[in-house]
This record gives sequence, structure tokens and C-alpha cells, in this order.
Amino acid sequence: MIAFLLVLIVACFGSLVVQHFIPPVAFLEGARVFLMPVVFFYGALALPYGLTLALAVVCGFMWDALTVQVVSLMGEGGITNVVEIAFGWSIVLYALLGAVMSGFRPLFLRGRWEIHCLMSGLLVSLMVLAEFLMLSLRRVALYEATGFVINREIWWRIGGAGLIALALAPLVYWFLSGLSSVVNYHPRAAAARNRTEEV
Amino acid sequence: MMKRFNLAALIIVVILVGGFLWMGPSGTQRIQSAFLGFISPFLKTGSALEKKITAVRHGLKTLAQLEVENQQLSVRNKELSAVNSMLRDLEAENRQLRKALEYRERAEFKLVPARIIARDASTWWNTVEIDRGTAEGIRREMPVLTESGLVGKVTVVSDHAATVVLISDESCKVAAKIEGTREQGIVSGERDSGGGVPLISMRIPSKQAELEPGRKVYSSGVGGVYPAGILIGVLRDFKARELDGYATLIPAVDLTTLEDVFVVTGAGSQ
Repeated sequence: MIAFLLVLIVACFGSLVVQHFIPPVAFLEGARVFLMPVVFFYGALALPYGLTLALAVVCGFMWDALTVQVVSLMGEGGITNVVEIAFGWSIVLYALLGAVMSGFRPLFLRGRWEIHCLMSGLLVSLMVLAEFLMLSLRRVALYEATGFVINREIWWRIGGAGLIALALAPLVYWFLSGLSSVVNYHPRAAAARNRTEEV
Repeated sequence: MMKRFNLAALIIVVILVGGFLWMGPSGTQRIQSAFLGFISPFLKTGSALEKKITAVRHGLKTLAQLEVENQQLSVRNKELSAVNSMLRDLEAENRQLRKALEYRERAEFKLVPARIIARDASTWWNTVEIDRGTAEGIRREMPVLTESGLVGKVTVVSDHAATVVLISDESCKVAAKIEGTREQGIVSGERDSGGGVPLISMRIPSKQAELEPGRKVYSSGVGGVYPAGILIGVLRDFKARELDGYATLIPAVDLTTLEDVFVVTGAGSQ
């Protein structure tokens, strides 16, 4: 189990690096390809929730380390540095969405692969939407930015990211299932073992 | 057993997140800088691979084609050297005349060339990673530009890499002035880019301003981060709002195809 967690941590890091070299999809109004969340959601289905939380910490940490903006604001007392969205919110987001995904674990353990595919699409869109809402709230408070202007392009960026995740999820599922076999981790057997131990 | 493990994990995560949320801007920057230092070798390797793949995709050139290209570049090099030498003479002359007229000396820029190794992977932020860091004299808040105009400013720096927030990002604000007018304002990015092409906007205090499309917008130097006189973009349209004026600009630099940039490490504004 721990070996597979380590494999997933490496896979999350690798997918984050790869994500940087995939351009936005022009015909989906610039929607982005999110590989790391799709890998994370596989982990949320394959691992018990305690380990999903560990994976959420890693993914949220890496995401915040690359995206959090420290902005300089001109105030009465001179220039002050302010963190736009505090470091750590992505960990909360990953942990919450991981909990939602974990709720579908019984179906996944029964071999329903499409759960990962469908839920990845939905949850990636939710993740992008949550980021948009947090950013809008914060930017309105910080420097009277445009706020909650939601137009066609913004909807497409939110929904498009989910559609792309939906399309990529089967590939990620197939790849990670193969890796779990390589490290001899079988989610169904591990879950059965845990249930027996609890009884 | 498993429930107790989950509960313990949850408590640890809550404490960890609490610690992170409590952290101020300097702590955040330290973590970001350390992580950028860790991830940058992977991004550099990825960037090199991407370049190789692109080179193969665009096809290999024949010896004859390379010879022609080499000849053209050689001629261009000579032309630019001549122009450069003439400009140096003019600069020296200008400095002497300024001195004679007791004008304030114009700050000299020192430019550090940098290559873009990765673009942001997020939806709502517009940043790029460059292959220069503190070891090459790069510091936070240094302006970044190309020969065409302003690109943005450095926000996170590690030893051999840095993150640059682009002027198309909503959080990047530049004090600007419009060519041929007395209008000044603040330029910032837009969250929705208008069909993939990044747009930037300018808020102008005067709503009575008469501004025609095509006018150039330059940094004004106010605020001290960006030097004065750097081209930001070209005015696309202007509309008067209830309290102020709002203009949209087309950035001078094509931010979607950026490859090489310069970081201004010398004196900032005039």
C-alpha cells in the first residue's frame, strides 16, 4: 500500500511537470489539461482515505507552491506584500474532493472503472470552479478586480477542463492499474484485508 | 484500526494546513522558491526535449538552405553592429549634452537574457518560468521585457530559475501613459482573454479622454518597479464609464509564443 502511495506521489509530480508543456486547448476557449488531479482521483479510489489525505497534502502543496501569488499593494503605509489565496487552500480542496471520490470506492472495488472517468471529469471542473470563486472573492477584496464576471469563455474553461479530464481518465486508469500490479498492490484484496482486520 | 488511522491522518492534515494558512508572504515565498528550485531541473529537461521534438517536427534543413540562412544572418549581424556603434556614439553625445544642461542622468539598464522553460499549467494565472535565478542576479519584482515591449515582472526566484507573472495576469499592474496625450492610468491583465489572445486593460481616471485606437501605451515609471518608456501595448478601444475611462489594449509582445526574454537587473525607473 505504501509502495503504491509512493508510486502515486511520483506520478503526481511527473504529471504536474508534463502539464506545464501541454498548451491550452484553443477550441475549448483555452481550457487547460489537468493531469495531476486525474492521477490524484485514481489514488482516492485505490487507497484508503487516510492515505488519500497524504496524497492530497502532496498535490495541494505542489499546486500552491507553483500558483500562489504574492502581490505588492500600495497602501497608506507604503508597499505591502499580500498573499492572494493563502498557501494551503489547495490541500483543503484536494482533501474535500478526495473525500467525495472515496465515497465511490465501493463501486471502484467492484470493478466499475467508469467511476474514475466520470467523477474525474466532474471533480476537475469543480476544482477549476472553486479556484475561480476563491480568486474572484479575493481579488475583489484586494484590488477591486472584475469579480464574478462569468461569460461563455469562463464557462468553457471550467467545463472544458472537465471534458478533457474525462477523455484522459481511461488512459490514466489503465496506466496506474498497470503500475499497481507492478508494485503488487491490489485495491480489492487490500480493502478485503482491512475489513477482515476490523471484524 | 483503519478508522483510527484515518482520524489520525485527518488531525495531522488539519494541523499542517493550519500552519500553512498561518504563514505570511515571506514564508510563502520561501517555500515557493525552494519548490521552484526542486522542480526547475525537470522543467529545463522537459523544455529541452520539447525543443528537440519541435525541431524534428519542423524538418531538418539542407546544407544549401543553412548556407543561405547563414549568409543572411551574417549581413544582418554587420548591419546591427553598425547601428549599435552609431547608437553608442549618440548615447555618449546625449549624456554629454544632458550633463551640460544639468539634466538628471537616465538610469542605465542591465539586461540579463533568459529562456522560458515552462508556461503555467493553471487556468486563472498567467505566469512563465525562466532559466535564470538569484545566481545570475535576478531578484523579485524585477521587470521582464523583450525587444518588442514589456512582458511582466519576477515574482518567485530560486537559485537558477524564476517565475515571471505576465502583464496579461489580473494581478500584474503597471503605471502607464498614452503616447501623444497627457492621459495616464493603470494597466492590468484580464481574466478572460477574448478567444485565446491575451488582452490587457487600462483604467484611466479621466472619462472625457479622447483616445483613438492605435495609440501606443508606455510604462510611466511611477511606482518604481517598471522603468519608464517601455512599450506595453497598442490601444484597441476606449469607453467612458460612470466614474472613469476603460481601454483595452493589444500587448506589444506576443505572450503566447514567448521564448527568450530579458530581465532588467540594473536601475529601475528614471
